[in-house]
Amino acid sequence: MNPLGRSWLLLSGFVLFYVIYLLFGGLVFSSLERPVEEQLRRDVDALKRRFLNQSCVSAAALEHFVGQVLAANRYGVAVYPNASNWDLTSAMFFANTLVTTVGYGHTTPLSDAGKLFSVAYAVLGVPFTMLVLTACVQRLMRPLVAAPLRLLRRCGLDARPAAGVHFLALLALVLLCLFAAPAAVFGVVEGGWSFLDGFYFCFISLCTIGLGDLVPAAKPGQRFKQLYQVAVMVYLFVGLMMMYLLLRTFHKMADLHGLTAYLQLPRCEESDHDDDREPIVENGQSAATHKRPSYNSISER
Amino acid sequence: MAAPDLLDPKTATHNTKPRLSFSTKSITLTPREESEVVATVMKRKTVTAIFLLIVLYLVMGAAVFRSLEQPHESAQRLAILTQKLDFLAKHSCVNHSQLEDLVKQVVSAIRSGVNPAGTLTNPSSLWDLSSAFFFAGTVITTIGFGNISPHTEGGRIFCIVYALLGIPLFGFLLAGVGDQLGTIFAKIIARVEKMFAHWDISQTKIRVISTLLFVLFGCLLFVALPAAIFQHIEGWSALESLYFVVITLTTIGFGDFVAGGSEIEYLDYYKPVVWFWILVGLAYFAAILSMIGDWLRVISRRTKEEVGEIRAHAAEWTANVSAELKETRRRVSVEIYDKFQRAASIKRKLSSELGFSPTPELALSRRTVSANHSEEREKSDKEAGLPGLASQLTRNCGLFMNGLDLERGDMAVVEHIK
Repeated sequence: MNPLGRSWLLLSGFVLFYVIYLLFGGLVFSSLERPVEEQLRRDVDALKRRFLNQSCVSAAALEHFVGQVLAANRYGVAVYPNASNWDLTSAMFFANTLVTTVGYGHTTPLSDAGKLFSVAYAVLGVPFTMLVLTACVQRLMRPLVAAPLRLLRRCGLDARPAAGVHFLALLALVLLCLFAAPAAVFGVVEGGWSFLDGFYFCFISLCTIGLGDLVPAAKPGQRFKQLYQVAVMVYLFVGLMMMYLLLRTFHKMADLHGLTAYLQLPRCEESDHDDDREPIVENGQSAATHKRPSYNSISER
Repeated sequence: MAAPDLLDPKTATHNTKPRLSFSTKSITLTPREESEVVATVMKRKTVTAIFLLIVLYLVMGAAVFRSLEQPHESAQRLAILTQKLDFLAKHSCVNHSQLEDLVKQVVSAIRSGVNPAGTLTNPSSLWDLSSAFFFAGTVITTIGFGNISPHTEGGRIFCIVYALLGIPLFGFLLAGVGDQLGTIFAKIIARVEKMFAHWDISQTKIRVISTLLFVLFGCLLFVALPAAIFQHIEGWSALESLYFVVITLTTIGFGDFVAGGSEIEYLDYYKPVVWFWILVGLAYFAAILSMIGDWLRVISRRTKEEVGEIRAHAAEWTANVSAELKETRRRVSVEIYDKFQRAASIKRKLSSELGFSPTPELALSRRTVSANHSEEREKSDKEAGLPGLASQLTRNCGLFMNGLDLERGDMAVVEHIK
């Protein structure tokens, strides 16, 4: 197999492993959290029944009740019946928000074991996700950046204007496909969302801020909930990839225009070897100055 | 920033990589040429300047958020109060629909970010200056707890614009802090290496040990100590504090636990200190996560190498096997050539005895090599008989002998190598 074919195979292996990792996380979360959620829901039900049995409502009882609802809602337990936050797709959705570091918080682990597992899962999953994203972006750089640039150069533009034109075109594409279009879709599918709400959600998610005030597929009685959640997960991944690609393109363009040199920042490194890092030991150093090893260099030896 | 500073140009500056680490680049000073020394460590003055700029940015953002959100919040609070008073005025047996109504209202109030429970006589706003500052911090670090979030349209639009500018800005700051951290660490390592230089320990061991020490010490300083402090001040369990620390420093930021988010009376400097801890802790976590990423990559590369080795072995094995097969084929074809030659000689003998015209020299294709005539085989071939041999030859030789057609009797001339 030629190297290109092999690298594509590796990439798909990566992505497959990523999907499996998510599934695994979803399963574990689901099995850890559902019992606790059931228990909490039963408590809320009992409280409501007791409230109903009272002949008269006192302020203290009301406050207590409201506090209970508040506590339940804070933990993300659906107060409405027939809606679990921890079925498989919802748990996968949660795992996805964990490893992409978006972290909405509309659902959070309730049990101690769940919290512990989240910590371990995140510490491993976050770097791994970034690895996968970077690998994907590197593959995408060729058709989406190198090829159009070559095309533009052939049309007669210089390097600098070509880079600028290309970046603007990419920006417009990203805005249209990853912000405007999904915002419109969310506005339609989610009942109470306006276009601005959808746009706000897309932005907050793709910057991985993830406030969690607006979360899709969280309404009770949502039709095709599983499919919807999977679609949102795919959107998140693709969106993150494109944002990163946009960022790299911007950086390359800034390099060309001399901005990075002006601000004394490191240049965007051009490297097609996805496995090689820069040599840690520099040749220019004299014997008098200490060699400055990087703790990352351990992995290289 | 662990992963998510995607709008952060600094992340893209490091190599091709996942850009979790900001501090590695600082240590690798790689002057390309004498004329073009790209300084990759940010000067301390620059870092301080950026830090002050960020603080200013946060204060400004906090003021804007407060002015946008507080009026809306007070209006919501008033509405809920009215609702509750109405409910209390009824104070008769509640029916099911009224109860559900109440629940829905409570939930929507919560979603609006208002706490409907507790003492309404002492309204602690979610949007006072320090909380708004904290919120602005969670936005530009991309942690995004979400216990506070803007609900007005203006607030949301401003949030978007604010984040667009603030995230790269914070990225620069984080890069600077990471550089400083990395420099400190490198100096310590260098000193340790000098100490152990005459003990003749391999560099790898020193580096491994120093990495472990770095991880341990950093965990102590940035994870264990703050967790203990949170446990004491916020009243969380040990696990919850640890969970909060990790979720925050990886910028996931669920918001189920937020330092400074409960109803407790906090000291004035508590929240700013928490934010400062987040800043330094983020740089540390970025380094750790990048290390893990490196190890994953090394593991994947080693796996690739091993897979490559396995494939090389497999290729060798198949090459050996096919060579052996070729050898076997060669030997078999040689034997057949052998037998063919003997058959031809027998035929000649017979034809000379019977008075036939001599047939042209039987020859074989170039592919067959040396023929090994032995007396015993000649004898056995004679005994086998010519017709059987001929049919056997036609069957077996089709593969190996080109240009040989026993029926027609055309022969290709061939070398006969002994």
